[in-house]
Amino acid sequence: MSQAPIDPILLEITWNGLKSITDDCFVTIMRSAFSTNIKERHDHSAAIADAQGRLIVQAERALPIHLASMTGLMGYILKQYGDEIEPGDVFVANDPHVAGGTHLPDINMAMPIFDGDRLLGFVANIVHHADVGGAAVGSMSGGLDEIYKEGLRIPIVKLYRKGELQDDIMRFMLLNMRLEEERRGDLNAQIAACKLGISRMGDMVEKYGSDYLEQVFGEIISRSALRMRTAISKLPDGVYEFEDVMDDDGIDQEDIRIVLSVKKTGEQIIFDFTGTDDQVPGNFNLTLNATQSSVCYALKALLDPDIPNNQGTVDAFEIVVAPGSFLNCLAPAAVALRANTCQRVVDVIFGAFADIMPDEIIGAANGANTSAVFTGINPTNNQRYVYLETLGGGMGARATKDGKDGVQVHITNTSNLPVEAIEMEYPLRVEEYALVEDSGGAGKYRGGMGIRRTIRPVEHECEFSGVGERFRHAPWGVHGGDPGGTGQFYRRGDDGKTEMLSSKTSGLRLKPTSSMVIETPGAGGYGNPDARSEENLKEDARSGKFSSDFLQKSYGTKSND
Amino acid sequence: MSWVVGVDVGGTFTDLSARNLETGKSVVHKRLSTPDDPSRAVTEGFAELKQKVGIQDHEAERFAHGTTVATNALLQRRGGKIAVITTRGFRDLLEIGRQVRPRIYDLQVDAPPSLAPRHQRFEVNERIDANGNVVTELTDDDIDRVIGEIENLEGIEGCAVCLLFSFLNPDHERRIGEAIQRRCPDLFVSLSSDVQPEFREFERFSTTVINAFLQPEVSRYMDRLKTEIAKDAPKAAFGVFQSSGGLMSVERGSQFPVRTALSGPAAGVVGAVASAAKSGITDLITLDMGGTSTDVCLIQDGSASLSNVRDIAGFRIRLPMIDIHTVGAGGGSIAYLGADGLLKVGPISAGAVPGPACYGHGGTEPTVSDANSILGRLPESLVGGGMTLDRSKAVEALKPLANELGFTIEKAASGILGIVTSNMVRALRAVSIEQGHDPREFALMPFGGAGGLHAADIARELGMPRILIPRSPGILCAEGLIVADLQESFVGTCRTAIDAPLDAVMSVVEALNTQAEAWFEDESVADDERRFNLNVDIRYVGQNYELSVHAGHGNSSVSLPDTESLKTGFFALHDRSYGHHDPHALIEIVNIRLLATARLVHAIEVENAPTNEAQPICHHYVWFDTDKPVSTPIFERTDLPVGLELQGPAIITQIDATTVVPPWATIKVDTVLNMIMEIEL
Repeated sequence: MSQAPIDPILLEITWNGLKSITDDCFVTIMRSAFSTNIKERHDHSAAIADAQGRLIVQAERALPIHLASMTGLMGYILKQYGDEIEPGDVFVANDPHVAGGTHLPDINMAMPIFDGDRLLGFVANIVHHADVGGAAVGSMSGGLDEIYKEGLRIPIVKLYRKGELQDDIMRFMLLNMRLEEERRGDLNAQIAACKLGISRMGDMVEKYGSDYLEQVFGEIISRSALRMRTAISKLPDGVYEFEDVMDDDGIDQEDIRIVLSVKKTGEQIIFDFTGTDDQVPGNFNLTLNATQSSVCYALKALLDPDIPNNQGTVDAFEIVVAPGSFLNCLAPAAVALRANTCQRVVDVIFGAFADIMPDEIIGAANGANTSAVFTGINPTNNQRYVYLETLGGGMGARATKDGKDGVQVHITNTSNLPVEAIEMEYPLRVEEYALVEDSGGAGKYRGGMGIRRTIRPVEHECEFSGVGERFRHAPWGVHGGDPGGTGQFYRRGDDGKTEMLSSKTSGLRLKPTSSMVIETPGAGGYGNPDARSEENLKEDARSGKFSSDFLQKSYGTKSND
Repeated sequence: MSWVVGVDVGGTFTDLSARNLETGKSVVHKRLSTPDDPSRAVTEGFAELKQKVGIQDHEAERFAHGTTVATNALLQRRGGKIAVITTRGFRDLLEIGRQVRPRIYDLQVDAPPSLAPRHQRFEVNERIDANGNVVTELTDDDIDRVIGEIENLEGIEGCAVCLLFSFLNPDHERRIGEAIQRRCPDLFVSLSSDVQPEFREFERFSTTVINAFLQPEVSRYMDRLKTEIAKDAPKAAFGVFQSSGGLMSVERGSQFPVRTALSGPAAGVVGAVASAAKSGITDLITLDMGGTSTDVCLIQDGSASLSNVRDIAGFRIRLPMIDIHTVGAGGGSIAYLGADGLLKVGPISAGAVPGPACYGHGGTEPTVSDANSILGRLPESLVGGGMTLDRSKAVEALKPLANELGFTIEKAASGILGIVTSNMVRALRAVSIEQGHDPREFALMPFGGAGGLHAADIARELGMPRILIPRSPGILCAEGLIVADLQESFVGTCRTAIDAPLDAVMSVVEALNTQAEAWFEDESVADDERRFNLNVDIRYVGQNYELSVHAGHGNSSVSLPDTESLKTGFFALHDRSYGHHDPHALIEIVNIRLLATARLVHAIEVENAPTNEAQPICHHYVWFDTDKPVSTPIFERTDLPVGLELQGPAIITQIDATTVVPPWATIKVDTVLNMIMEIEL
């Protein structure tokens, strides 16, 4: 080691400066993007990587699922372009199978940072584009069985060469996506963020010099890895197992098994998913990067929520999963609805840790990224409308308190659309937006509750499509807690007839004389229901969140006290 | 002789400021707050001030109050027991909120529980649609039933009425409100169509519930204070400062306490604007650095930007509020080694008790103030000699941390300051660069006890060439109160495509003008003191959020400008906020906002400034960016004459604030006794 030890104060300040650059890039995208998904829901991320493609800093508001896509992309760029990386290049990619992505709507961009002719690293960002072509509007529909149907696949290509826009590539991409102007706007926002990041990194190089910055990159990674490994080493050595089953893939495969064996020795931790089912025809498969993001989220949530996201955090654990598995799928596996599976991987990890981290783990959550799409012709202006929403549900009960009711869990945290906004925008009436009675699994602490949203078309006929999970396999409880309620989709007619629908429903006709009811799953309880305090039971009854039948059945006579 | 008096109640100090309307003379008075009953410090402080200056009872013409009563009640959940009445099917809406969790990776942190537990929330059978038409009629029987259920609950003090689309058609909410008032006249009632008649139900309901929760506590406080002040100043009109930056009558303050949630910081910003205007500076970024937190606000063309939504203590409030960005770091913030082995500062603070170690009240953790004390930047006496600093206690507190870092005590101390600077720089970038403003075009204006200690370092880091240190950095809030206007905002929702006929929008504008005129009459505002300011919230069809476009102002009612100028205004604002606009995409109007203000004080100010050449009171060794200390003159601010120019290094002390002038800066006292610091970049 010839380098002088790094000054911990200057390192903190430099690290702050790098964070500030990724935050500026993040905000630049938010401000200059065209689509609502970015401007309002902030479904994007920004980061800096070093010359070896290792992730150094991620923007504070970046999403957990985007973490490994960034690292994945860097590796592919270095492998594919090596010596041909030049100042002014901008790389673009989205493919999960050949470019490190997790699903096609997430378009990655990266631009190399140079000090003279020395490659110092990359600035990178991801934007979830509202459409990347393919068989269905929004490129996120259920029932697609190969990636070709899910949209345009972009391998790593240079969108800019030495500062020159490759217009043919831009035109080629735009022609294959719906809403061309919006796409162009969002892509330009990504380019603007790359350029800003490069210019701000230039200031850093001028101020601190490349040698020092490289030293800082190394320190950030090693300190984060050390922090993560220290947390890991405190866990008892051993092998911890769990398995769970997903409902179906929306095509023909039911009961998809996810099997995990965690092997912990000293500072080493291996997540071995051997035994998990093979990849499925439907679009719920995970690429290895998506699996890695889910594991990283779960570890951070359990061990230390404040550990920064970078290569050091990712390097602190290993994953074993065979190529061709449901959690390490190969081309041409379809992946658009991966978020549902990521949620389940997190549940499975929590299940495996149940005995060794009883204070940190929680009961199974709603385990889905429930989505609902209503589309039709608006009778007031004869134009087509598409209303898309993702709904939260229950979060699992915790060691010292009940789970959260009606929230987005784990790897996602997007807001809902206000009822008044929906009705002003679309010819729909929201008849109910409520918590689902009895959906929180009983326990010493109860699981969180699912959400019910009931929607009826006004003076026209519309179409409903929805994707849900945990309609058949209820979210389990831990340490004696009961499972939470399952989700369901059903159509309720004014004639009193109710028709149950599948968890992956496409193109269901809905008349103004009927309502569509969407119920998301609740979550599992924690601890034996017998141990629930009288005060909590009193609140369960008084709040009206639980029926007396349910309380009687779950807690016995105690609930009548 | 007539006086206007401003009183700002903070956590530690209650500041009073009085200005004579004839002579322009102004005086300030500072005393400790009385947190158990904040009104005591107000009335006692007022009595002390009257005595000090010789103000007679009948000479106080206006009494303006900035209060933290509402904020504290919210932070401590010390409000009324309230019921909520809402549309059938939506009882849980307040609990679900926007379905997000406060922190992505933290499984244990929750949003605060609802201010009205579920069994105190009731549904009525009624529905209004997106055009304001009644879909399901509300029956009197149902109103009677729900009031009966509320009566059956014990100890209910207030009720929030929150119905869907009430901002378009308030009829159902009003009928419920009237029925409650008839049957239960003691109950406080907040209607969502009164509190914030705007679309987005969760934000409107949440704001209304917070208002209902605060009403009992705040109206009791206001009544008490009003009675007390009426004894001491029988002729004074009593105004309460709102988060939007203007005064409202005490009656409205009791009715809408949620509007005072950011009262104190907003008054500081108004004081800053007024103070900077005297020096001819209209573009500035404020840096109000106190003990536990720092407030930052960007002001352009003499006006602070407003934001319409903010979370306070985890509760969502949607109301116009001065857009203040808060960072959890101040003079009392504690420095420590983080889990990654790096030095961190804040958000944990030594608070007022025990306070920084150098205060000698038993604090043992190293704070930012201790670092300043060690480096000689903070003089030995604070608050006009009332408090003496003990540098050795600061050294003692920082020693373990310095040892762990392997640094000298001074190097560790300057490390702490470096980290404070880098944290503040991030906050300033958030209000400027992230909003499309270049900070180099703004002056930095530090105030609060600690702002002047760090301003030069922060300005240099951001390339801001100029700093403005107001004459009285420690009592800017109270200053803001005495120059504030009386203010009321009116809003109407009227969603219309901008290219369609705007008749409906025009009638909303007309209705708002009528409401504003009625308000001016109520408040007895003379015609020539009335100001109307019209803004239109516009967005692209499909966007979820609007931009508020200025659409005209004047002394009497304002009419809607033509479509083209609205579009031009929208495009320009969209360019600034988002970096582009699309001239062909569909645009729609969402809300109309009319701000009515009444000018209350015409300030004529005369100052008695010293004319002698300033002499330093002493010299101290002070560490700046070098490894060794520099002998630095210490000046008393009140000794500095108009026109004085000083080359750093220098330290300028005054009653409750300290300004550090590094060797790479110069300072000049201007004609209104503000100091302008120029930074060598």
